[in-house]
Amino acid sequence: MGRSQTDVVATALVAVLACVAAAVGAPAPAMAVLGIALFAAPGYLLGQLLLDSRTTGLERVVVSAVLALAVPVIGGLYLYAARVPLHRPGWLGLFAGVIFACDVALLLRRRVPPPGQPAPATTRPAWRVPRWHAAAFAAAVVIAGCGVGLARIGVARQPQPGFTQLWLSQQRQNAHVLSLGVGNDQGSTTSYRLVLLRDGRPITTRNITLADGQTWQQSVPFSGKGTLAADLYRLPDLAHPYRHVFTGRAEAAGP
Amino acid sequence: MTAAEESISNRPTVPLEAVGPASVSAARSRLPVSAVALIAATGVLVVAAVYTAGRLGHAEAWWADLAYWLGQLLILIPVAARLLSRRALAASETVTLVVVLTVAEYLVKVCYSPAAFTYVDELMHWRTATDIAQTGKLFTANDLLPISPYYPGLEEATNALASVSGLSIFTSGLIVAGVAHLLFVCVLFVLFRYVSGSHRIAGVALLLYASESLFQSFDSMFVYQTLALPFLGLTVLAVYRLAARQEAGRCIGWFIIAALAAFATVVTHHVTSFVLVATLEVITLGALVARDRRLAAWASTLAVVSAAAFGAWIVFVAPSTVGYLQPVAGGALQDVLAILAGGHHGVPISTLNGPLGNQALSAVATLIISVLVAVGWWQVWRRYRRQPWVVAMAIGAVTWYVIVAVRLFVADGSELAGRASTFVFVPAGFMAALAVIRLTDNSLRQPVIRANVRWGAPAVVAAAVVVALALVLNGLVNGWPPYWERLPGPYQVAGAERSVGPEQVASADWALEQLGPHNRFATDEGDMPVLAGYGDQDTVDDDGYLYTSLAVTPADVQRVQDQFIGYVLVDRRLSEMLPASGQYFTVDPNAGKYTRPLPLAGLTKFNHVPGVARVYDSGNIVIYDLWGSAYYGP
Repeated sequence: MGRSQTDVVATALVAVLACVAAAVGAPAPAMAVLGIALFAAPGYLLGQLLLDSRTTGLERVVVSAVLALAVPVIGGLYLYAARVPLHRPGWLGLFAGVIFACDVALLLRRRVPPPGQPAPATTRPAWRVPRWHAAAFAAAVVIAGCGVGLARIGVARQPQPGFTQLWLSQQRQNAHVLSLGVGNDQGSTTSYRLVLLRDGRPITTRNITLADGQTWQQSVPFSGKGTLAADLYRLPDLAHPYRHVFTGRAEAAGP
Repeated sequence: MTAAEESISNRPTVPLEAVGPASVSAARSRLPVSAVALIAATGVLVVAAVYTAGRLGHAEAWWADLAYWLGQLLILIPVAARLLSRRALAASETVTLVVVLTVAEYLVKVCYSPAAFTYVDELMHWRTATDIAQTGKLFTANDLLPISPYYPGLEEATNALASVSGLSIFTSGLIVAGVAHLLFVCVLFVLFRYVSGSHRIAGVALLLYASESLFQSFDSMFVYQTLALPFLGLTVLAVYRLAARQEAGRCIGWFIIAALAAFATVVTHHVTSFVLVATLEVITLGALVARDRRLAAWASTLAVVSAAAFGAWIVFVAPSTVGYLQPVAGGALQDVLAILAGGHHGVPISTLNGPLGNQALSAVATLIISVLVAVGWWQVWRRYRRQPWVVAMAIGAVTWYVIVAVRLFVADGSELAGRASTFVFVPAGFMAALAVIRLTDNSLRQPVIRANVRWGAPAVVAAAVVVALALVLNGLVNGWPPYWERLPGPYQVAGAERSVGPEQVASADWALEQLGPHNRFATDEGDMPVLAGYGDQDTVDDDGYLYTSLAVTPADVQRVQDQFIGYVLVDRRLSEMLPASGQYFTVDPNAGKYTRPLPLAGLTKFNHVPGVARVYDSGNIVIYDLWGSAYYGP
């Protein structure tokens, strides 16, 4: 063979490793790295196949990267037409298939250099960046990364007014059953009193304590006659309903 | 000569000496690009810190805006100064500066919403991407942007990355959109460099392209156009290469690349597909004018191929495209025809909105670009009129004056002109770059400057930098986010991203889980994207009457029935704050006229309408069920 086949081997290895990692449920960081490599590999290989050796530098990188984005765009249509669900197995199959096909095509092409074109050089002039330049670029990446991290911390720490959800709605599966629920997003554990009323008269009273982010839900049979309402009090205040919901009623009155 | 330069030199289109630097100074700069990258990263950090301060309650502090602009200037000034400097700049340094600028501005955009999509257009595509991830199928319904599922390229790529990497749709979307944005800029750099024969002109053209008002926002958002742009660019680059090649074997590879890129464009975005065909036709025209038959043949061939693919896609997959685009294009055309016939013309929104300073900067920037494009044309006539690609750019730059006219004379023309600027700034930025380089070089050759080169040359370059900065700052000032939500902060009514909070998201999640998808919902401008995006509900645009009327009227009942509204989402804060964007509702006849918040009685009247069920209450947000109520009953 006239030149190194390292790229062919590496891309095939990426395809195999990504499929194996997905099958065995590899840790998220490993899956992320392999997944991104798998996503990028077809573009690189298509670039190798479609571009001649004179196309170099930025142009080659750009063309390969755009082709990498085009593969799932066009390949997704193929999967859909073939009735393959666009889930992980389908995408893995698509990328691995394109990679292996391109690898084979590359191997075949590299065996015989095109007539009139000299075999590509195996070595290219090294692109050297002075150390302190490299250090400055690395520092720039770190600083920018810190900026994004800081912004994420800002989102997490942004003061947001707490709230509590109360709902009373027909279940989608059964129109004669209502879903009664409470969700606590107050930012801390909160205690409530929930009073269920039929035609204005209390029929059930329940004290509920929910941790932040926790929900409570119950099914309530409802024939459709009369009115059901629910008042939620945030303890210890029992004088003012904190939340209020009701089913449709002939003459409604509420807060 | 580097390998890349050698590659380019296969077909130089413009003699390098025509744009060669004036010999005032060719010394190396004392500010290396690595230092520029470091300063730009510091700018990103400063902006991120200001955003965090805004979220922690300092969005309205006097220093917050100043600190934001300080961060932006840290990004912009070193890049602009190095690109416009007379100091020697290698091609690799030029492209690094362009990449630094693009990446830094993209990170600023990411820092604005680093945890989830909050912009309405991004939520539209998040919805489609999520639907594909959940169903494994394409072309699922999207109530927020019904056309989006029929151009699924962005969502396919995002889903593919999310599926194979295990990353979330949000993170994958940020990666795909960011990479696509950077690739488009890089494709433009390669094209500009080939066309002009100068990496310096290419760098300045990209700097001016960054002054386009959507560069930092819409063009890098998780929207379908963002991904379609590099496909468009690659198709055009392939045309350049096809026209340059002589050997048939080499043409095959580039033709396959062109066909793949054109088809990917068609699958990804309708308007970009149309622009692709138009661009190829303009290139054909430029080639005919410059008598380059080979280029004309390839450009026209690929125009036909692209048009056929686009037409077939519309006919067989996305017939709703015509109905989606027709109102916008038809409305603008009618306005133009009315103006030509001597009739009325609309008042542009851009002159009504925003502080006076922003409007003044916009006017100055428009004037500067208009002058620079004209000077660029003069340069083309003098030096490049036999260069088909430069001639094509010159023809394309006519569209700059068209969008200025649209902005000035067409009702609601600002949005149309703004959306078009992504494409129009490609030739206009190139023309302006030719003008900037020529003007600075001519200035440096003036005897008074040459006689006092130590202060004269820096002064000329500084003037060029100031002009470029004014243009880019105009893009930021009058772009997105707007002045009323420049910094993230507390909730605002109808405040776009600042209307997206945990309570809105919780109500949308509840609606999807408890009510199911695709219910007809009335809601306000601020809650609409969240409810339709995260909640997958079918929101009504023209529903302000439901909130402003103080009692149920027969007219309201009729309209509710006509619009088939099943649920109403009411946010009590509509009665407490004026709308940040000037309008409470997506279609709001009172936009810009509100002087006080909506009456509370109009929002709470549903409690007293017979048959209306109050199904959800989270304090600020209440959802009413209108089915079986007086709105539909006797």
